Amino acid sequence: MRSSLGDGVLAAPSAEAGARALERLRRVAADPRAELRRIKERTGLMAVGYFDTYLPPELIAAHGVLPFRVPTNGHDDTRAMEYIQGFACPASRNVLDQALRGDLDMLDGALFTRYCDSLRGVFAVWDSEKLTPYVDFVRYPTVTHTQAAVDYLAEELQEVSWRMAGALGAPIDEHRLREAIDAGNRARALLAEFARQRAARELAVPGADALAVLIAFTTMLPDEFTQALAALMAQPPAGEPGDAVPVVLSGVTFDNIDLARTFEDTGLYLIADDLSTGSRLYTVQVGDGDPWQALARAYLTKPPCSVKEPSAARADHLLAQVGASGAAGVVFYLTRFCDTEQVEWPFLRDRLAAEGIPVVLIEGEHRAAGLEQVRTRLEAFREQLEALAEVDDGEGQDGGSE
Amino acid sequence: MRLEATNRLKGLIKGYYDELFAVAEEGRPSAWLNVGMPCEIFYAMDIFPFYPENYGAACGAMKLTPKLSAVAEARGFSADLCSYVRATLGSVFSGEGPYGALPHPTIQVDSMNSCTMIMIWWRAVEREWGVPTFLLDTPLVRETSDGINLVYVETEVRRMVAWAEEKTGRSLDLDRLRQVVALSNEGKALWAEVLDLRRAHPCPITAADIFTHMFPMVALRGTPQYVEHLRALRDEVKQRVDDGFAAVPGERYRLLWDNLPPWFDLRLFDDLAARGANFVIDTYTQAWGPRYMGPVDLEHPLRSFAAYMGAGFLNVQIGKRYALLAELVDAYDVDGVVFHSDRSCKPFSLVEVELRRLLQKRKGIPGLILEGDHNDPNLFDRERGMGQLESFLELLDAREQVPG
Repeated sequence: MRSSLGDGVLAAPSAEAGARALERLRRVAADPRAELRRIKERTGLMAVGYFDTYLPPELIAAHGVLPFRVPTNGHDDTRAMEYIQGFACPASRNVLDQALRGDLDMLDGALFTRYCDSLRGVFAVWDSEKLTPYVDFVRYPTVTHTQAAVDYLAEELQEVSWRMAGALGAPIDEHRLREAIDAGNRARALLAEFARQRAARELAVPGADALAVLIAFTTMLPDEFTQALAALMAQPPAGEPGDAVPVVLSGVTFDNIDLARTFEDTGLYLIADDLSTGSRLYTVQVGDGDPWQALARAYLTKPPCSVKEPSAARADHLLAQVGASGAAGVVFYLTRFCDTEQVEWPFLRDRLAAEGIPVVLIEGEHRAAGLEQVRTRLEAFREQLEALAEVDDGEGQDGGSE
Repeated sequence: MRLEATNRLKGLIKGYYDELFAVAEEGRPSAWLNVGMPCEIFYAMDIFPFYPENYGAACGAMKLTPKLSAVAEARGFSADLCSYVRATLGSVFSGEGPYGALPHPTIQVDSMNSCTMIMIWWRAVEREWGVPTFLLDTPLVRETSDGINLVYVETEVRRMVAWAEEKTGRSLDLDRLRQVVALSNEGKALWAEVLDLRRAHPCPITAADIFTHMFPMVALRGTPQYVEHLRALRDEVKQRVDDGFAAVPGERYRLLWDNLPPWFDLRLFDDLAARGANFVIDTYTQAWGPRYMGPVDLEHPLRSFAAYMGAGFLNVQIGKRYALLAELVDAYDVDGVVFHSDRSCKPFSLVEVELRRLLQKRKGIPGLILEGDHNDPNLFDRERGMGQLESFLELLDAREQVPG
């Protein structure tokens, strides 16, 4: 292992509270489903799962119900393949598989949006097979830049809320909605600050742990998460990126910590992200005023995924992540059979090339097994980045001597 | 025996493409549209409508997909993408294709009522050619489009019209639109009759016959030649029914085809006909039938377009898909369903395994999942597919022999 950001270094005695917080976040992310069961047991609350980050979890929380983004678990999906074809994207197949295996039997309900064509296929099976006692579908705009889309989504969220109240016997509480929005805003703001500090090298936390933080964010109660993250940031475990090469991880959802660790084991340091579950989510700040309008506007106008229109801001967002972190390159993780990312890839590649930013394409199925070829490619990429850095250093010295 | 109407299609297609190139040469406006976008509005605005999905199918029928796809793949577009997209982008990038280099359109308009792929396909062309592009939002619904959804989609239709007017300098005259819509309604009523005539025993036409006629249904609605062609088609099919003509002599199996056909291999249907099997109905052509695309209200045409766009065939979900299958199975006296698991069409395909299960469980109708693709022959193992189809027919035989 080339990175010096490993577990042993992080558990420094001077940062015990931070280390404990990190351990807590890691435990949650290692088995988010178990954490949800524990929260349910402790609070006696129901839980509703969701799958994409355009769905505002505040909608669920306002009903006194636990929102839970169902992360992929990296396992095989043989049960899902009995219900849906193999050319559905592997992340979608995986969440379906979890439900079919009973791994999500703690969910009292599930909420879907039209995120992509694979996920709508999962909704069809989920709805037909009633994989949770309650299942509903949020009609969601694809166009994100018009007032009409905001108005529509605001009304639709309320219609879903009324149905959820009836189906779960959990009435909406407007005060709780505002509380959920505020708690979400606090958590996301802190996450954004966490990311800023990492990008600025003020906080040395490996990318694999940063990913654990993202997973914990959509699993834990917002205020508990905020407390844990604040503790981690206040007394960060000691650590240095050493000679690991900083890169931005770009993609859609990315929940496999082992996979991230594999990436970093090649000598890369995932210093920032352009993920739907990462920087494209925690930049959301829901505004004041009518809460439904505010929710609709905030989630529609966040840095876009390739499934939305217009989408050009996605490339700008990615470039901003690179710029802010001083990353040497980008790892673009392309989920197999993800149509929108497949079309986005040549465009992003060319935009990055125009800016002189190296990028490597890694296509995968969100599993950490059988990654020898990936490891080799990433090692070669790291060497390429190191060589470029040496050339840059050399040019810088030459320039300075003139 | 092929329909006379099918033979006349060549002239229609040639006329359409001649017009496409003439429009470009004369500097008149044109628009690339997806099939969920009503061409009637554009004919009324004198903006020539062109359908890349239709064009993609032509690439497939002329067996050009692998070659054009290779061009797109060399530019970084995945081989896992929809084969319409790969073929069309290959044509856009290379200037090659069944009719030579396609002229650049003045505008592109796409809607979300079929698949997400459409949006990113248009986006890729926009980036390559710099063509102004408009996405008309039609949120995916469960079964119906009413209330706030209908209001929103109508707002989107009106926003699109205003945008197209600004970009092309052509305005939409509602009286002109009503004239176009009246012709469209007339043709659609004839199409509905043709679909209904397929209920006859024996069935008067084959699946290949009906799929071939998708071209005028998609691209010519609202034109005089469209009505003329549909009337001739209806008359011919009706005559066949009156004559007791069997498109598949000795029709033995009445099957339903779900999904798009393999455009590169419509002979598949002929080969099955030799075994006495006819696809007497399909789900794909229903998308232009009265259940999904009924007559447009002449008083409120834009709202009427919004209504059917919002609840278009691929913009509704499994409940309605199942209801349609169940209805067609009864109405057309269907023995079994072939679900074409089309690698290039996720919205159509990814519910098929569940639909098959439901149909078997609720109605006792067997189904076969046939792996393939609508446009890429490399994704269809014909020998294996034929073997599966033959086994399926044997299964139907065995069921027939079981008493009770």
